[in-house]
Amino acid sequence: MSQSLEAYLVLSVLLFGIGTFGFLAKRNAIAMLMSIELMLNAVNLAIIAFGAFTPELAAQASTIALFVIAVAAGEATVGLAIVIAIYRNHRTPLVDEYASMKE
Amino acid sequence: MGLPETVPYLDWRWDDLVFLALAGVMLGSALLVVLGRDIIRSALWLILSFAGLAGIYGLLGSPFMAISQVLVYIGAIAVLILFAVMITASKRGPARLVFQRQWWAGAIAAILLVGLMITTILLTEWPHNGQVYAADAREIALTLFEDYLFAFEVLGVLLLAAVIGGLYLAKRDDDMPQTNNPRQAMRDEEERA
Amino acid sequence: MSPILSAEEGGELFIPPQVAGELESLLVLLVLGLPLAGFLLTGLVGRRLSRPWIISVAAIVAATLIATYLAFQALGGTYGEHGIKHIYYTWIAVGDLRVEFGYVLDNLSALMLIVVTWIGALVHVYSIGYMAHDPGKWRFFAYLNLFMFSMLLLVLASSYLVVFAAWELVGLSSYLLIGFWYTKRAPALASKKAFLVNRVADHSFLVGIMAIFLLTGTMDFFESFIEWNVAEVDPLIRNAVAVLLFAGAAGKSAQFPFHVWLPDAMEGPTPVSALIHAATMVNAGVYFIARTTPIFASAPEALLAVAVMGTFTAVLAATIALTQKDIKRVLAYSTLSQLGYMFVALGVGAWLAAIFHLMAHGFTKGLLFLGSGSVIHAVHEEQDMTRMGALWRKIPWTHATFLIGALSLAGIPLFAGFFSKDTILDEAFVLGWWPVYLIGVLVAGLTGFYMFRLMGLTFYGKSRVDPAVEPKIHESPATMVGPLVALAIPTIFLGLVIGLPLGDSTIKHWLEPVFHPGEVILGITFPEYEFIGLNGGLIVISVALAALGIGVAIWLFGVFNTRARLETVDSLARRDRVTRALYTASLNKWYFDDLYHVLFFRLGGLVASGVMWFDVHVIDGVVNGVGTLTQRAGVEVRHIQTGRVQNYALDIAVGLVVVAAVFILLAR
Repeated sequence: MSQSLEAYLVLSVLLFGIGTFGFLAKRNAIAMLMSIELMLNAVNLAIIAFGAFTPELAAQASTIALFVIAVAAGEATVGLAIVIAIYRNHRTPLVDEYASMKE
Repeated sequence: MGLPETVPYLDWRWDDLVFLALAGVMLGSALLVVLGRDIIRSALWLILSFAGLAGIYGLLGSPFMAISQVLVYIGAIAVLILFAVMITASKRGPARLVFQRQWWAGAIAAILLVGLMITTILLTEWPHNGQVYAADAREIALTLFEDYLFAFEVLGVLLLAAVIGGLYLAKRDDDMPQTNNPRQAMRDEEERA
Repeated sequence: MSPILSAEEGGELFIPPQVAGELESLLVLLVLGLPLAGFLLTGLVGRRLSRPWIISVAAIVAATLIATYLAFQALGGTYGEHGIKHIYYTWIAVGDLRVEFGYVLDNLSALMLIVVTWIGALVHVYSIGYMAHDPGKWRFFAYLNLFMFSMLLLVLASSYLVVFAAWELVGLSSYLLIGFWYTKRAPALASKKAFLVNRVADHSFLVGIMAIFLLTGTMDFFESFIEWNVAEVDPLIRNAVAVLLFAGAAGKSAQFPFHVWLPDAMEGPTPVSALIHAATMVNAGVYFIARTTPIFASAPEALLAVAVMGTFTAVLAATIALTQKDIKRVLAYSTLSQLGYMFVALGVGAWLAAIFHLMAHGFTKGLLFLGSGSVIHAVHEEQDMTRMGALWRKIPWTHATFLIGALSLAGIPLFAGFFSKDTILDEAFVLGWWPVYLIGVLVAGLTGFYMFRLMGLTFYGKSRVDPAVEPKIHESPATMVGPLVALAIPTIFLGLVIGLPLGDSTIKHWLEPVFHPGEVILGITFPEYEFIGLNGGLIVISVALAALGIGVAIWLFGVFNTRARLETVDSLARRDRVTRALYTASLNKWYFDDLYHVLFFRLGGLVASGVMWFDVHVIDGVVNGVGTLTQRAGVEVRHIQTGRVQNYALDIAVGLVVVAAVFILLAR
């Protein structure tokens, strides 16, 4: 089982699905950001798994995964800063009370 | 002494047992992140989920990635998230509802997506021989600093921009009104009274 | 389906005009350009001038002198029998269609030039006095110049399409001038009526011109004449095209059934009535048919239609003129009647007579209208003849010239009208159209009657003028009397100069080359003229009938100081049912206006409101429906835009699922 690509990919998909659900369902903006991190992790897992089972791509896969991690870090920084900025204006972290995009 | 070839009674390989355990930890804590009521606990479960993934990286023969995962995700991002949670946490505790009203639609969409992707994965003939190949740190370093040098530099600039942008956005602007949400302003008024 | 002529015969019969010299082309350009420049200048700065007429009158006088020079050169034979032609530039060149802007100056255009420019110039001078107190006179003179330009373009043009453009331009000027006093209701309505009636006819005209292009492949008069007669065309189509062109001509010349606009056009200022609606524009139809005789000559049935319509209009208008009370309306119906004569002449093949009558009638009727303007002026804008009478002593110049015009129109020997009208009747009889001759002679009698009824009511008998106005009656100023005297000269002498000797006159020599091809195609030959014999006898008959008409009119309405018997007229009109019905019918113009009212206004209005219902409910419904649908859809679809991030994210997820599912299904 640990020797098959499919198992890792299915695991990645499940993690991605949990992240998707979290992003679509959670009310708290920070919880949504956490869900995004879960999804990014799922993607990373898929990349590493592909690399591990394809010898000539192993190094490239790790490199790309590193890039993803770095970009995720940047995304988390900016995303949290935005959440804090919005929170300061609206006094709530709950996204379903943000309606300014409608107006 | 040595362990037997397979797990006793279950007749599994030890790798498989470790894989299942790590996968269970990772998915379980991820579910708790999403379903949990308390945002601080969610953040802590998130750390556990990251750790589980780091273990799976190790299982896949990438100790370098596992270490990176621990350093960046657990050491940096999770901590950042915890700080943000503390800054924004409402005095009134967790919100009444964890999910927004249309959470069921999100659930259906997520399940459909997962179903589709699993179907695709299982229907595809993957060309591999079941051998896991490990890339060592030296190989990764050579790829990163030779083939992807330019991308690496650009990434450095991106991170710098993210840091500056994050600072700018999060900086408290005292000239701005405290809130322009009338509902929240009323709530503030009540709290003061 | 056989062609009328072979190609060689066509080439022999139609001799194209010579190429014009540079001097002539420059002069023609001046003749056209001066009125146009006058129009533009007067239109732009006329309002600021203390004498708004100065530019336009100067332009017309100059153009008249140049045109007279050109016309005399042409008639004198300097340019040969077939005239000269010059193309200034190619106006339109699309595929096979080439329309060239140029002029042709042959004897026919030369005669038209003289009529148009001289009457035009005299009317301009007359208008200085007539319009002296009108605040909008700068506008009036600008329009008059525009009309002169258009009319000159019409008689000089060498191609159908240029004629059509000029045709529309004279229509426009006519519209503007009839409605000159546009703040009053009647002139505004009259101008609209004239425009609409002409529009119907012009449509037919345009279709006819298109048919000519389709059949001959050219828009040039002389090329189309050859092609038309050489081409293999079904006789039915030849006749149809000719009838279409005739309908256009009938509209402009106010022939039945398009006659209704002309009497109403008398709402315009009197100089306009004289120039446009008596002497020049209404002759455009006659001129056009004369110009295109080679087209009409190969369509004998269409010519029959022309003759029948002309005859009918002549009788119809003459009978209406018998009872009208408005002095200008009597003259208007008289114009219709005389135009009917011209169409009779065109229809029977006496084209030379038609042009002769056009000239004679142009000068005569111009004189009569200007005279009526002078009368109206004298009695303070009163047009009703029952409120005039005994004016001959008070306005002697007007009376004298008017008498000359009336005698000429009635066909009294030695006046211009006698020669031309008699030529028409004579040639109609000689060519075998004796029913037409009989009706024509009858109309000649009616003409004498209604002209002298007009004379009697206006100038003789007892005065019925408003007592308040009576002491103020005065002769018109010199600018008005001058043109009257000037027009009286050709009215007296035109026939003597160009109509003699009878049967072999000067005008015949001038126009013979123009009409020769048509006469050959139609196959008509005139027998030897016998003054002592058939032709002389015809003259005696027509003059006798005219004299009879005049005599009856004088007996009823008086002459100079004799007593009028107006009571007798009344009792005659009321004697029994038949005479009463006839009298009322004539007074009501044989009810044609009412018929058209029912036919086009009521019936057409029904159709129009049906169409409007369709437009409002179906066409607009569809258009507005599409708009409403979009608007409603927008309002409804707007709810999708909740402003919530997670709804948008859900949409992305759903989209992802759909796209992925489609790919998987397609891949299988």
